[in-house]
Amino acid sequence: MKIRKVALLASLVAVCLLILTLQTRGYGAPARDAFAIVTTPISAGLARASRATFGLWATYLDWKNVRAENYRLREEVQQLRVQSLRVTETDEENRRLRRLLALQERLPLTTLSGEIIAREWGGWIRSLTVNRGRSDNVPRLSAVISPNGLVGRIVDVRPGASIVQVLTDPASTVGAHVVRTRTPGIVEGDPRGTIRFKFMARDGASIRVGDALVTAGQGGVFPRGIPIGIVRSIDDRGAALFHYAEVTPAVDFARVDEVLLVTDSSQRDVTAFFPSGG
Amino acid sequence: MKGLLALTVVGGSVAHATLTPLISVAGVTPDLPLIMVILLALRRGPEFGCAAGFVTGLLQDAAGGGLIGVQALTKGLIGFGIGVAGGRLRVSQPLVQVPGLVVLTLAEGIARFALLQIFRFPAPFGELMAYVVLPQALFNGFIGAAVVLSLAWAQTFRGRFEGEQS
Repeated sequence: MKIRKVALLASLVAVCLLILTLQTRGYGAPARDAFAIVTTPISAGLARASRATFGLWATYLDWKNVRAENYRLREEVQQLRVQSLRVTETDEENRRLRRLLALQERLPLTTLSGEIIAREWGGWIRSLTVNRGRSDNVPRLSAVISPNGLVGRIVDVRPGASIVQVLTDPASTVGAHVVRTRTPGIVEGDPRGTIRFKFMARDGASIRVGDALVTAGQGGVFPRGIPIGIVRSIDDRGAALFHYAEVTPAVDFARVDEVLLVTDSSQRDVTAFFPSGG
Repeated sequence: MKGLLALTVVGGSVAHATLTPLISVAGVTPDLPLIMVILLALRRGPEFGCAAGFVTGLLQDAAGGGLIGVQALTKGLIGFGIGVAGGRLRVSQPLVQVPGLVVLTLAEGIARFALLQIFRFPAPFGELMAYVVLPQALFNGFIGAAVVLSLAWAQTFRGRFEGEQS
């Protein structure tokens, strides 16, 4: 056993000294070449193994970083989306309020601005609740308007809030006329949530699709000339006394958020003060 | 034995080629194959130490581009010597192994310098010692301490695990 160890050591020393001697005696190049034939593939293999190991590690680190960054970016995107929605909402509200303010300043009527705080949108009743009530001296049957036209009328005044009967309410009737022909009639709500214009057949022969309807201003409730809507279709009932026209409302009642309550009883014609001019 | 030898050679060379540049401090790098050869020779004996030292040294010589056989001889001798010493002396304590690693690195440096002198490769001894061998010996001691402590911790953990199993 001891001899084996000594033999191993002696072989090692002998081999190394031989290699070194050969190199110093000028046989270095062939010896190195021969040695390189053996060691180069091993070195190349080791280099590949080390590169693969580190490549794997680097990939793992990259993946870990990307994952963390992805998480952070997702949160940031979420926050920015919320922020963007807030900005858009504020911007939209600002635009609506500017339009309402402009209308309020333009109109030769005493008005009170209000915000819609609730909606009753079933088939039986169609109403809005506005945040102006008894303490604001809101008279019953006041006209409620928006920059686009007529919304309805106040039917109930409560402490802190009032109920607006919308034009599409089945019980709603408003005196109106066609701007182009001055044909008088009544705008009624119906249970389907639409409005229609009821007029006498002999007066309405020349009514056309696209004609604008405004309030007639008779009866002392609504000022004259507030836009109501546009004729969408005409229901010709032959020899019947009354004919009907389907009307597209000027106001989108489902989306209106801010309104003006007309609190004076002036019956002035306000057609010119609305953007559509009636 | 052969598997462990191959693992030592390959592992030491890969570690030397990949880790050494990453952990160099002020241009000083540890000699990881030497650390592996010494620590394994202590446990496996002179034959293993001799063979592992020879092959890893040969690969380092080939990779370095200097005289082939210098590190093969010095590392082979160190491996053999420490393998013999491991069987006769009490060298299992980290407090012995770590300073021993520093001393053996210095010895390997001196042996390498002597061989280069014999084979007419002039090198300034003082500068080599001050700027290469001594810093490397200290670095080897530091790395060796970390490895020895890790091995001791692993053995303790293994002992506990086996105790719980039985």
